[in-house]
Amino acid sequence: MSDTPKVGIVLVSHSAALAEGTAELAGQIAGGTVTITTAGGTEDGRIGTSIDKVERALRLADGGAGVVILPDLGSSVLTVRALLSDSDDLPDQVNVADAPFVEGAVAATVTAAAGGDVKAVLGAAEEARHARKL
Amino acid sequence: MPESCEASVTLAGDLHARPAGALAVAAAKFTSSVELTVGASRADAKSVLAVMGLGASSGQQVTVRAAGPDAREAVEAMIGILAEATKVGG
Repeated sequence: MSDTPKVGIVLVSHSAALAEGTAELAGQIAGGTVTITTAGGTEDGRIGTSIDKVERALRLADGGAGVVILPDLGSSVLTVRALLSDSDDLPDQVNVADAPFVEGAVAATVTAAAGGDVKAVLGAAEEARHARKL
Repeated sequence: MPESCEASVTLAGDLHARPAGALAVAAAKFTSSVELTVGASRADAKSVLAVMGLGASSGQQVTVRAAGPDAREAVEAMIGILAEATKVGG
């Protein structure tokens, strides 16, 4: 199992701190065996999103088993969609999860850590919508 | 031949996020279904969010039930993680 590539996770947030903190949390809960990359904020460090940051994060996350992207809020989705529709030569098996950001990141990363394929990781992220906290 | 298996452990500490993650990662590697029960609450051990949602705390008894071809191994793995990981918190 350790030699098999795992699905990579990309966290896209308007805030670099939010993306990085969520990556740290999800990575620790899942045991640190999954590649999680972040695209947070604009190129000049403001709140916003950057298509170039998302592209770099996507390439870094790809280990050959596919990538699941989690956007935080609406315009992150637009940025991700713009990248996926405009760019050629992106990694294969890239999926965008319609999921709550923190819960989705944790569930996706744990499923990736267990060796789940890209469909399983995407499913875990999207099922996070139904998880109850209390 | 499918089988079922069950065992319980009393938590030495609260079931925090990291042990919940360890349980879910381990549970997902088994073919068997794996369920945790604490009081009246049940969770699929393969769902980290469901495991965290149990809110299992120190002194509570957790029952692990597995059904499937590797049920025994799955229960042993879960009990081991529950016994060890909740000692140090997470």
